Amino acid sequence: MTATRTDVEPGPPRELLYRRRVGLVAAARELWASRELVWTLAERDYLARYKQAVLGFGWALFTPVALMVVFTVFFRRVADVDTGGAPYPLFSYLGLLPWTFFSTSISQGGLSLITNKMLLNKVYCPREVFPVSSVVVAGIDTAIALLALGALFVIYGFVPRLTSVWVPVLLLIQVTFTTSVALISSAVVVHLRDIRHALPILLQLGLFATPVAYGIDTIPAHLRGLYSVLNPLAPVIDGYRRTVLLGQQPAWDLVGLGGASSVVLLLVGYRLFKRLETGLADVA
Amino acid sequence: MLPEGAISARHVWKRFRADRSKRDLRDSMRRLKAQLGGRRTPWTWALQDVTLDVEPGDSVALLGPNGSGKSTLLKILTRVMYPYAGSVDVSGRVGALIEVRAGLHPELSGRENVYLYGTLLGLRRREVAKRFDDIIEFAELQQAVDRQVKFYSSGMQMRLGFAVAAFLEPHVLLVDEILAVGDASFQHRCTERMHEVLAQGTTLVFVSHDLAAVEATCRRGLWLQNGVVQADGPLAGVMGGYREWIDASAASGGTMDGIVRLRRTTVAPPRRDEVPRSHGPLDVELSIESPESTPATVCVGITEGTAAPIILLERQLHLAEGRTDVRCSIASLPLPRGRFYVWVVAYDVKRTLLPWQPAGSFDVVGPDLDRSPHGIVQLAPVHVETTWDEDRGDAIPSAPVRRLGSSRG
Ligand SMILES: Nc1ncnc2c1ncn2[C@@H]1O[C@H](COP(=O)(O)OP(=O)(O)O)[C@@H](O)[C@H]1O
Ligand SMILES: [Mg+2]
Repeated sequence: MTATRTDVEPGPPRELLYRRRVGLVAAARELWASRELVWTLAERDYLARYKQAVLGFGWALFTPVALMVVFTVFFRRVADVDTGGAPYPLFSYLGLLPWTFFSTSISQGGLSLITNKMLLNKVYCPREVFPVSSVVVAGIDTAIALLALGALFVIYGFVPRLTSVWVPVLLLIQVTFTTSVALISSAVVVHLRDIRHALPILLQLGLFATPVAYGIDTIPAHLRGLYSVLNPLAPVIDGYRRTVLLGQQPAWDLVGLGGASSVVLLLVGYRLFKRLETGLADVA
Repeated sequence: MLPEGAISARHVWKRFRADRSKRDLRDSMRRLKAQLGGRRTPWTWALQDVTLDVEPGDSVALLGPNGSGKSTLLKILTRVMYPYAGSVDVSGRVGALIEVRAGLHPELSGRENVYLYGTLLGLRRREVAKRFDDIIEFAELQQAVDRQVKFYSSGMQMRLGFAVAAFLEPHVLLVDEILAVGDASFQHRCTERMHEVLAQGTTLVFVSHDLAAVEATCRRGLWLQNGVVQADGPLAGVMGGYREWIDASAASGGTMDGIVRLRRTTVAPPRRDEVPRSHGPLDVELSIESPESTPATVCVGITEGTAAPIILLERQLHLAEGRTDVRCSIASLPLPRGRFYVWVVAYDVKRTLLPWQPAGSFDVVGPDLDRSPHGIVQLAPVHVETTWDEDRGDAIPSAPVRRLGSSRG
């Protein structure tokens, strides 16, 4: 600290500079205390959305089902997908459910701090409630979209295998990863506004970089580890297909890598969010 | 540990970027390049070394002209913003009325909004449910609870927002100029509710351009000027100093320079040997010096001394390079007897050319206003010439037919 400050403006002495320290545990505790707020915000977004949309709750079904139909009709023609014997619509729909959850969470959650900037500027609350409530909304959408999965099971006379008991573990990784990305993108978008225009394109690319329409075995075996670290949705989707459709264990090595990577991303992302949060109201 | 309801803000500094630039990639790159090149990004101070200690149950008014940092200080106390330097400690539940309409969602019904805003302010849903009837009654929205808020008038939205916040029962209540809108009777109830809350031992920090309301509510005053504490102490003394400052800066005319300068302000009737009278003519003459030729919007406000005008007169014009003289002729002045102030602002599409500031004052000779009955707050002292006729029918003396007539104003 030998550099001499040549400010024309007088400033505060160095030792007075404000340092905001938030431990992750304290932050998580505060978020937990605000759980009713998260829920109320999710409810607000839901009610507001369905008071406007003609399609109402059907909207949550529309996106994944439409994509599933498109994939079934077109994609399978050009690429030969090995589904391990399961019907392709079921195979792709099981990929589309987590993908739609992720993409809705990021497209809504990424902008959540901008859409709520009126509030950010006026009321105090732990700021992560906004992206987290977007994830909750996407979760409700997914729950509704499960109806179509049930219908597919009936249509194909297919019974989920017993190994489906592993689904909650996979779900946990899916939610962890999605929440991390929602936190990071929301905070970054506030500081770099033009990222928001890139977000939809990035998500489109993400759909093809994720084994939604195809299976994970399209990726060369020696790259799958790295792939799972970079995109934890890949081993998760693969896991859903193995457990629900094929009666197999998930590929635990890949799932483990994806899970570890998600947890690290959550810790890093939450910390980054808390750091960027300090300046949110100044620029909002 | 501070006792509940105490505020301790010590040596608080806050700065903002001087250039309100877009926050995008290109901007960040430019800034990075400037930093690598050794240039520092320009900052302006919004608060400098502000210290405010408040005991539980005390009531403090923040005084100061626009842009002096009052809202910024309140935001730092609520933790909406963080200081650049210094320490801030507020203990207990904090309720902030910064912009009560901010928490409302237009698509939702009044009922849904009460829950939304209540939870935003930190209540549990259970607690909102317990207060729900009181809130709706206070806001007088019994008929409209299930209507979407986008169909509410702005007054109704205001009432809803304030009512939720008023039943928050916080330890510390921060109020920022929220009472500037809304109808008079509701304002009065808000003020009353604030007194009630104060009587329950809540700590209050209050910002209002309504100096009378401030005097009726607060014990202590903190006067900010360009982010620096000018005076701190019992309200009477601080308020006296602040009023003197308003008078002085109005008298000196154009103390603050923007891109353009206000060289001279004259406020007088067109016949210079006369004095300003109620319903008489008045000319406001501004002499503006501009470094460049530019289109501008000039706004002249007439106020009671505060920054909130009773009358606002706006004109689009073109400023020449050098001096431009502008005269605004008011044909008939709708003001009662008293001292009034002329405030001026000038801006173009992109910039503020001259910040909103007092530029002159004048005394009006004329009638006093009618005294307002207890419980009615008069918003602006406008005088209207009236005549009243009463026409009593003989048949039903208990139900007089009244006709109101007014002459030209
Ligand atoms: N988010 C912001 N970004 C940049 N400048 C700001 C921001 N908020 C306030 N300021 C500046 O800080 C100063 C103090 O503003 P404010 O606290 O709103 O004053 P007051 O409430 O007393 O009118 C003003 O010069 C204003 O322009
Ligand atoms: Mg303000």
